[in-house]
Amino acid sequence: MSVPRASGYFRTRYERDFALLDTRTRKASLAAFAVMLVVYPFFAGPLAMDLANQVLLGAIGAIALMLLTGYAGQISLGHAGLLAAGAFATGILYKELGAPFWVTLPASAMVGAALGLIFGLPSLRLRGLYLAVSTLALHFIVIYLGSEYETKRGFSTGILIDPPGIGEWTVYDPRAWYFVLLIAAAATVLFSLNLLRSKTGRAWRAIHGREAVAGALGISVHRAKLTAFVVSSVLTSVAGCLFAYFRGFVSVEAFSLFLTIQYVAMVIIGGMGSILGAILGTVFVTLFPYFIEWLMDAFGLTDALSSVVFAVNYSAFGLAMVLFLVFEPQGLVGIWRRMQAWLLLWPFKQKPLAGAK
Amino acid sequence: MSDLLLRLEGLEVVYHRVITAVQGVSLDVPQGGIVALLGTNGAGKTTTLRAISGFIGLDDARVTEGAIHYRGERIENLAPHRITARGIALVPERSKVFENLTIAENLEAVVTRRGANRRQLVDSIYALFPALARLRAREAGYLSGGERQMLAIGSALACAPDLLLVDELSQGLAPVVVEELMDQILRVRVELGTTVLLVEQNAHIALEVADYGYVMENGRIVLDGTPERLRAHADIQEFYLGAGGGQRRRSYREVKQYRRSRRWYG
Amino acid sequence: MQLAVNIAVLASIYALISCGYVLIYRVSRVLSLAHGELMMLGAYGLYATASLFSGQPLVAVAAALALSLLVGVLVYVALMWRMTGESVLAAVLATIALGILLRGAMILMFGTQTRHPLEELGWTNASIEVGDDARISGVGLALVLATTVCYGLLFAFLRMTRWGIRMRAAGQNPLLAAQRGIGLHVIYALAWGLATLTGGLAGMLIASDAGLESTMVVIGLKAFPAALVGGLDSLAGALLGSLVIATAEVLMVYYVDPLLSDVVPFFILLAMLVVRPWGFFGSREELDRV
Ligand SMILES: Nc1ncnc2c1ncn2[C@@H]1O[C@H](COP(=O)(O)OP(=O)(O)O)[C@@H](O)[C@H]1O
Ligand SMILES: [Mg+2]
Repeated sequence: MSVPRASGYFRTRYERDFALLDTRTRKASLAAFAVMLVVYPFFAGPLAMDLANQVLLGAIGAIALMLLTGYAGQISLGHAGLLAAGAFATGILYKELGAPFWVTLPASAMVGAALGLIFGLPSLRLRGLYLAVSTLALHFIVIYLGSEYETKRGFSTGILIDPPGIGEWTVYDPRAWYFVLLIAAAATVLFSLNLLRSKTGRAWRAIHGREAVAGALGISVHRAKLTAFVVSSVLTSVAGCLFAYFRGFVSVEAFSLFLTIQYVAMVIIGGMGSILGAILGTVFVTLFPYFIEWLMDAFGLTDALSSVVFAVNYSAFGLAMVLFLVFEPQGLVGIWRRMQAWLLLWPFKQKPLAGAK
Repeated sequence: MSDLLLRLEGLEVVYHRVITAVQGVSLDVPQGGIVALLGTNGAGKTTTLRAISGFIGLDDARVTEGAIHYRGERIENLAPHRITARGIALVPERSKVFENLTIAENLEAVVTRRGANRRQLVDSIYALFPALARLRAREAGYLSGGERQMLAIGSALACAPDLLLVDELSQGLAPVVVEELMDQILRVRVELGTTVLLVEQNAHIALEVADYGYVMENGRIVLDGTPERLRAHADIQEFYLGAGGGQRRRSYREVKQYRRSRRWYG
Repeated sequence: MQLAVNIAVLASIYALISCGYVLIYRVSRVLSLAHGELMMLGAYGLYATASLFSGQPLVAVAAALALSLLVGVLVYVALMWRMTGESVLAAVLATIALGILLRGAMILMFGTQTRHPLEELGWTNASIEVGDDARISGVGLALVLATTVCYGLLFAFLRMTRWGIRMRAAGQNPLLAAQRGIGLHVIYALAWGLATLTGGLAGMLIASDAGLESTMVVIGLKAFPAALVGGLDSLAGALLGSLVIATAEVLMVYYVDPLLSDVVPFFILLAMLVVRPWGFFGSREELDRV
């Protein structure tokens, strides 16, 4: 996995293997990246702001799915259902009790944990395809409960939510949202990376490799699976809660199966088993429709296709996913790593060792 | 000596790019002959057969050196279905019949080689194995070990092969049943004119039907010769035929001696 | 009585769709989540051939069926064969991606308004009395008949014909099948073709009854629990599963709540996965194979 490094860097202690950041170059580039992220909103226009917010929000959900599918190897097609659960928990608490965000956020997390247990239970008996199907079934059930609530309470068009805030200060304008979401996303990344280098993370990778062997090594397979589902669903529900506030609006229409597919696509296109992959995938999937629109503009097709823009998006998205699955199963992160290796080795263009992919 | 049908020349097979299972194996199978390939567990017999039949890619193995000549043509890099189409059929060691299909369906599913008369072939298979004809409508999953082995051979023969590769015919079967199967192998040669490469652990039985034998160990051929010669060989007596009865057991030292002397045959 | 008729029609719909899932799964261990879209494509195919061969409805139907078969084979040749040997997830995702691609392409080609292929063919959907107090639409009756015929033909094909037997053999033990000279790609392509043919037929009939619009994809998805409840690798199971699901759905919608229509199949699916994950007729080892 690890990329060839510049010479002069040696690990002298085993703990260094666990460090999140090991070389000076990495520390420096991360610092530069962090500064860029902080100053970004002061230069970005409204569209760029909105896109950044969408990416940050999406990244939380994508990382959650990456933990479950990319690391623990549990297939889930219920991601939209979990997002919906978080969003509806927030919406319902807000509508029924007028609860502020510091109540709804933990409440969403708790709903997520409970659902994670429920979604995870079938995984104790089922694998692969059957697991995917059971999570799909749960998706439909969550959506059903949501629409049931909407119709019974007469919010058939959706639930409106006011922006969250403390006292006078509310998070309303995009810049404020940017910082809130940036903190949330950064916290998710940090939390995930730390979890992955802990015992739990290693157990996940072990059950991903082969369950029976993991069991024989003394890892509790059931526990590892359930924690994977619970952690992933808590993160997803929190993302759902943020989503509800960010949009100011909750409705079942927003949580179709297509949303699940988009998240799965983020994980696939980004590259399985990599947090960076989840983020790259989110960027790709979020920007993709805008890119297509831009292409249509560039070719002067916007007028001809204006009524069916979404259909063009659909087909292009499906095509991109197919192409990635067939030609680049390692996803964007695979491309990224190859580029890195190429740059580091340049101008000595040896092929990397066959096993070092 | 009659024409050669199959010739292996210095064959080397490597699994997962690191595990060398077969090394420098050369052997000849004459047209119309029955050749036995003997060896203990893990000697590399199955790997050799898989290499010949072309089905090694699935186990992530590759022929890294040497050649497989079949009718004068190099076949070591051909796709498996092309090798099958050239008339090589394999009776694998495990999962050799379609369990949920009846015997008749098992034979029906086989793709017969172009040019062969399928109906006649199936009739002669039923004639060779009357048990199969009798149990025609039974699902293969419910057959006894011997019947299953007959079906496996029968369905391989239904491809109308020129060369039949049989992996461990006697595995897990009672001696009486094995005798019967060996008789049938002899009849296959006579009635269908099929050449047979027989992989066996049980040297005693294999050498009764074979014209020529090779002994494999740790991926190499260590001995070869006619059945008489092999049977007479002290090492074979000791290690494969369980002879030396009544005499004292050989000491560890002598066994080591054998291991050393054996190299010279390779 | 009317309820019984409704159940029969709905069960036929589910059965006709779910045999496609079963065929593909049984032969190549892939779950096709593009089945709903392929059904829709079949229905659009009928719509297109109906205007092409106007005045000759039977020719149009035959051409549409042939088109469906071809599309299925094409799906395998163009996409799915590259997925052989990949993980279950990759193959399922490929079908999902294909579904999205098809959905977009269909809207681009045919637009978003509801189409009525039956009118295009020049036929009407007459309603027929059954017994004293129940009615069945002409298309509903055609659905029941088509399902019966399809299942009859499929059973006969798989039991009696050489290629059918080879298909079963390849599904059971692909390695041995290849060793016995059976071309796996041919078998897989055939399975995709047949699955798309039956799915397309279902799509055409549903579109003839209720009009052709994008909700058909949901029907396609709802038929999937029927296949799984019966046992993913068993045609007889698909038939029974469809009956169970259709009965539950019709009764729940009638007596409890119409909103339940979309979830009942999935509730039953979950219940089945908890109690007997391999389905009524499925083989138990299936669980470990995936
Ligand atoms: N799929 C495989 N992967 C790695 N090594 C293998 C595989 N199959 C066989 N081997 C190794 O190759 C050697 C020869 O095995 P095999 O040909 O099955 O022996 P035999 O049939 O004579 O018992 C053994 O050491 C075995 O461990
Ligand atoms: Mg062997």
